[in-house]
Amino acid sequence: MKKISSRTRSRDVARSLVHRSGNLRSHTTQQVGRSESGFVARSTGPNWFGRQLGFGLDLDKSDGGAITINLPESMNFSSDYEMTVLYLMAIRRLAIKKPHKKQAHLAMVNFSGLMRISTSAALVLTAELSKWEDSIRQKLRPEINNWQFDILYKFYELGFFELFRNNPFEGTEAESSGSVQLVRYIKGRTGDTAMTRQLKAAIGKVVGDGIDKWVFLNTGLSEAITNVTHHAYNYEWFRSKDKTWYLTGSYNSESKELKIVFYDQGIGIPKSLPASDIWERALKYLSSFPSIERRRDATMLKAAVELSRTSTGEDDRGKGLQDLLEFVRQRNEGYLSILSLKGLYKFSIEGGRERVKSVHFSNPLYGTLIIWRTVLDA
Amino acid sequence: MELNIGADFSLDPAGRYYADGPASGEQFRELVLKPLLEKLGKSEKLLITLDDGVESYGSSFISEGFGGIVKYGYMSSEELLSRLEFIYSDEDYEFFEGRIREIVSEAKFGSKEYLSSKADR
Repeated sequence: MKKISSRTRSRDVARSLVHRSGNLRSHTTQQVGRSESGFVARSTGPNWFGRQLGFGLDLDKSDGGAITINLPESMNFSSDYEMTVLYLMAIRRLAIKKPHKKQAHLAMVNFSGLMRISTSAALVLTAELSKWEDSIRQKLRPEINNWQFDILYKFYELGFFELFRNNPFEGTEAESSGSVQLVRYIKGRTGDTAMTRQLKAAIGKVVGDGIDKWVFLNTGLSEAITNVTHHAYNYEWFRSKDKTWYLTGSYNSESKELKIVFYDQGIGIPKSLPASDIWERALKYLSSFPSIERRRDATMLKAAVELSRTSTGEDDRGKGLQDLLEFVRQRNEGYLSILSLKGLYKFSIEGGRERVKSVHFSNPLYGTLIIWRTVLDA
Repeated sequence: MELNIGADFSLDPAGRYYADGPASGEQFRELVLKPLLEKLGKSEKLLITLDDGVESYGSSFISEGFGGIVKYGYMSSEELLSRLEFIYSDEDYEFFEGRIREIVSEAKFGSKEYLSSKADR
């Protein structure tokens, strides 16, 4: 692979993306219905990659348009949120289509520089790479020689390598030396609520006991899956095979921290709100905010959750998001985070006190990510 | 009269409509709960076992499964609540009884006309 300067690289990537979707306009705005992410982007054209290189995105590109994404040192949705979603956005944009000749396309994701990754980031990364055009992904054999062992084992436990026909771990088993254990991710489709029992069984094995108040976590998961049917993929441009959700959990035997992570790659709660049955009430709720904040994803997300608390018999839709909070409430500690597009809603209980945090980010996480965190035997 | 949701309907009740999955609130209401309510004697109650293998009840299921009895004009909230008695040995399920009673109380009688979601497919 020819080494080129970052400036030349930036220009080459930007130019090649003009040809990616057969669209030769210099600024492409993807329309609703054509975009895989399902919403109108301000500018998703050829200059996007060029700009992101300036923000730290690390790519290598060959003459034939093959792009290698070099993952960063740390990926998580807290301290490294913006960088993490930047890489996920890049993978999303490159991985989803079968490329034409010399069109920029994802050829490789380099994990060797990745030193730390959270459970939720690992799940989302796995989900994004599972959308990698099948005909390309199935030919690949992950080159794991340079991976950090902790990272390698984490993805092995998650079941990541089963995405590839050439699974480097096929027929072998690896042993963990760390305190954090993940359970193999579960992938389901709309209506697959019974699959949450698999998670309960897997987590029970890892923890070595049942989880107190599990029924309330299951209620939240059940509603999250129902939401996938009603809102996340309720648009005609989503192909049937793409209407999926992902679920995993992790347990730290030293800190006793349990995390459950649910992810769908749908349109996102902020974008689904205007089409929902609670939109009229949402408009009233949003009118109390300064105009500049009203349409922000974080505000829309907060509206969706807060309004579900006051749903009435006439418009009994929308109570489901409150179900997500119940596990934390019943255990009286821990947190629930919902990340969707550029918004975060975090509900936590600490020392018996409830807190709500709402954050607006620069870059979107496509879809909806829900994280429950609690400490067992707390 | 008795109804054990886990044994007589599903261990994984979830979702609102038929399209949401194999054990939706709509299916529960139309094929199980409503027929049983129609068979009750004058002051007879329906004893409903909530746990016994059922993992949980989401609001979507409760809203459509129980609230729908009122919403679609089959029975008023007051009458429905007077006919239901809930049984469970796991105290966590007291929460679900409370949620069912809350949703049924808030439902507006006859506020919607029922059209089976199966007709759309």
